[in-house]
Amino acid sequence: MNIVVAIKHIPSIADDLPVKGNNVDFDSVDFVLNEFDEQSIEQAVLVKEAVGGTVTVVGVDLIGELDNVLHLALAKGADKAVKVTADEPGADSHQQAKWLAEAIKGMSPDIVFAGVQASNDLDGQIGPMIAAYLDMPYIGGVSSVEAAEGTAIVTKEFAGGNAGKYSVSLPIVVGVQAAPKPPRYAPVSKVRQVAQTATIEKISPSADGAGAGLSMKKMAPPVVTGHAEMFTGSSKEVAAKIVELLKSKGLA
Amino acid sequence: MLTTIEKVIFILLALVSAGFTIHGIKTIVDSVRKGRPTPELKNVPSSLLKAGVAVLFQRTIFKARKVLSTIHLGLFFGLITYAFVNLVDVLEGFIPGFELIYGGRNFAFTFLPAGIINAFNLIADLMSGALLFSIAVMMMRRFVVKDKRLNYRENVLLNPKVKAGAHQKDSATVGLFVVMHVAARLLGQAYRLDTGADPFMPIASFLNSIFGASQTGLHIAWWVSIAWVLYILPYITRSKHTHFTVGPVNLGLAKQNPHGQLDPAVPLKVVNGNHYDPGAKFLHDLSWKRVLDSYACVQCNRCQDVCPANFYGRPLSPSALEVNKRYLIKEATFGSHPDRLLLPLTETVISPEAIWSCTTCYACVRVCPVGNEPMADIIDIRRRMLIDGAEIDSGVQNALQSLATNGNWMSKGKRLRGRWAKEMEFPVKNATEEPVENLWFVGDTASFDERVIPNTKMVARIFNQAGLDFGIMYQNESNAGNDVRRVGEEGLFEQLVEQNMQAFGKAQFKQIVTTDPHSFNTLKNEYPQFGGKFEVKHYTVTLLKLFEEGKLTVKNKLSHYKVTFHDPCYLGRYNGGFTAPRKLLELLGVDFHEMPRNCENSFCCGAGGGQIWMGKVAPGERPAENRIREALTTFEKNSSDKKQLFIVTCPKDMVMYSDAVKTTGNEGKIEVRDIIQLVAEAVGVEMPIEAEPAPSPA
Repeated sequence: MNIVVAIKHIPSIADDLPVKGNNVDFDSVDFVLNEFDEQSIEQAVLVKEAVGGTVTVVGVDLIGELDNVLHLALAKGADKAVKVTADEPGADSHQQAKWLAEAIKGMSPDIVFAGVQASNDLDGQIGPMIAAYLDMPYIGGVSSVEAAEGTAIVTKEFAGGNAGKYSVSLPIVVGVQAAPKPPRYAPVSKVRQVAQTATIEKISPSADGAGAGLSMKKMAPPVVTGHAEMFTGSSKEVAAKIVELLKSKGLA
Repeated sequence: MLTTIEKVIFILLALVSAGFTIHGIKTIVDSVRKGRPTPELKNVPSSLLKAGVAVLFQRTIFKARKVLSTIHLGLFFGLITYAFVNLVDVLEGFIPGFELIYGGRNFAFTFLPAGIINAFNLIADLMSGALLFSIAVMMMRRFVVKDKRLNYRENVLLNPKVKAGAHQKDSATVGLFVVMHVAARLLGQAYRLDTGADPFMPIASFLNSIFGASQTGLHIAWWVSIAWVLYILPYITRSKHTHFTVGPVNLGLAKQNPHGQLDPAVPLKVVNGNHYDPGAKFLHDLSWKRVLDSYACVQCNRCQDVCPANFYGRPLSPSALEVNKRYLIKEATFGSHPDRLLLPLTETVISPEAIWSCTTCYACVRVCPVGNEPMADIIDIRRRMLIDGAEIDSGVQNALQSLATNGNWMSKGKRLRGRWAKEMEFPVKNATEEPVENLWFVGDTASFDERVIPNTKMVARIFNQAGLDFGIMYQNESNAGNDVRRVGEEGLFEQLVEQNMQAFGKAQFKQIVTTDPHSFNTLKNEYPQFGGKFEVKHYTVTLLKLFEEGKLTVKNKLSHYKVTFHDPCYLGRYNGGFTAPRKLLELLGVDFHEMPRNCENSFCCGAGGGQIWMGKVAPGERPAENRIREALTTFEKNSSDKKQLFIVTCPKDMVMYSDAVKTTGNEGKIEVRDIIQLVAEAVGVEMPIEAEPAPSPA
């Protein structure tokens, strides 16, 4: 089975997010792999382990540091790594989807996995747009995939803890909410070994603009307006205070 | 004494016995030799000699269980005496007239003075009594009183044979041997005394007064006594009683490197061009010394007594690990299961859950009288599990992932590491930008944990007030990797070492000061292997020096505090840092009370070896909770109205014990404080009015 994972490199929020002008200060922020993409790599490797095949991970190299992420993916069980060398830290999800779709097109995939969304823009567009560019169906919010020849059983999450099972025919683009198992750990020695031996295929981005056509007017951290009030005292006193508060708000 | 036919029978039996014994020994030697190389042992004859002296004085066993250890003296010296006694008895059987040495009468071998003969008889006689008494006590303890410490928890993985009580049978067999052998021999001596009592054989003389003298009786007793020996020698090579001979040897071959330096994941010395994967999956992935450990172990379970994981009800028993290893080899060599050696150790020797329960506190290694290092096995197994992609606790995984990307386990950005320093009322130097005398390696918990940061700032204030020239490395510092290495992530450890060595390379400093004992341990003991040439001090030593040099003076004596002190494993047991904190407390004038488990015998807080990262918390009384109760009991014995403080010198302890005070419902009775808080109060640090914590990204 030919499995492709489209990933996204995004600014880390482990540090305070630095703002410069009307966007993130990309020069002073670390980039990390989108959390949902970690899930989707795990899901891809699980499918490969179940039915065989190859996993190709493809991403857009926005700041020239995508190799680390690709090495990690290879150490976790991916077989090939491809990067679109864009060097455009601010490229939006529409633009990235276009580049990713162009890279994937020649791979004739059976399944394309993409994280259902990313924490930097939260617009969940990469998956559906890749599907549109490749003229493939899309199913998002997925928490489990069992693939077979030409078909797959896909579990999709709904609100209220409900889940739906779909039988889909391949090829398909799947937006991964979570893998059925927590993403595996890749020991550093293995990642380092991969880094020394692996070759990463480079693709130049097409010049076609495909951005969302939106431009940012202002970016600012939220204004802190108040602090949480902590009730102290014995459990009885705290309970009394809570009751009092609820009453004062007209809730009890 | 023996007839010709008897002599022939004896020689035949002795040959059979020797054959089985030699086969037994050879099997052990072969198994041990299959293990991997250990780090090079230097000056082996002198270490063996030292171990011999330690064993002769039974020094190592007295680290715990003083009463039983005294009983063990009877066994030890009794059996040594009997080795000579048996030799003399055999000679008696073969050399006519030799029996006359007994009683020192008509001695045929005139070159030995009667005094020596009498002394030999007296020692043999008294030691027979000591041996019978000791073995009786030990057997009573095991089979009548049923000392619980000899048992394993239900959840501990045990070899099926052990589970079925094979080790009990083993103890019974050897116990019975000692009783029968010694009793037969004593009775023989009694039968021998045909001219009445011998003052140099009091016990035999007493028995003689009951049973009288009998040449036939002597003859039969001789055979019973010696036949047992012929049976027991080969038996011992197939039982836990290899302890008798392997114990002292193993002690002599024990780890020579610092306690705090782990053996490498892959042997540095390659034998016959062997390729080694890191760590251990199968028995013979362990070093030969780890295999030998299993033959030295007699399952006294002292290690289990002091194991915080075992206390916590986790399925870990260091002793079970050793006995399982030995039974695994036994089944493969003497039994019919060589295939079991091809099963992972996590199925045959120790369960994965037990593997991940170890806090690497070193208590098991410290207490072991025969120099075993079960903790080393555990870390080697962890190492391979990580390489093989075994599923690991999600909390540990998150910590490791964060360590790989952020250099700290708390998923904080690198640049946030020095934030506390930027909030100080005076500038804290960046050691990577300007030279400092003391490079303060702060550590993750002290840098990031909101509960600990006030103490970190206090250390800075005291250093500043004392005029100590110090700086920190801000975002250039990475986790030192002590616990990363002990979780088994050797590659990540090496990466962290490289990052820190790079940072140290940028800095100019005379020495490193740490607040975290874990960082202290690896910087001091493991970084030298990676080119780290620097002196490392724990802040308790630095503070003490500042007092001694008069740069800090106690203005207010703190006699209103009743205080106890917890030795952190990685400062105390690993690195012997017992005195500096105690001297500091003495200087500060507190009312100090030592807990029963102190110094070498300190009880782990339960956080080490990656336990603090674990996402899952097991039910049961946690080690830290037990420790708080121990402190309170100590205080109760010295009751007064003073405020009761539990003093720590490790940021992790601050977190662990503050929690434990809450979860045991002892808030108000006891308070956990870092020693720096007491120092600050005693020297009178002017506290700035703490600003409201800065609201996150403003």
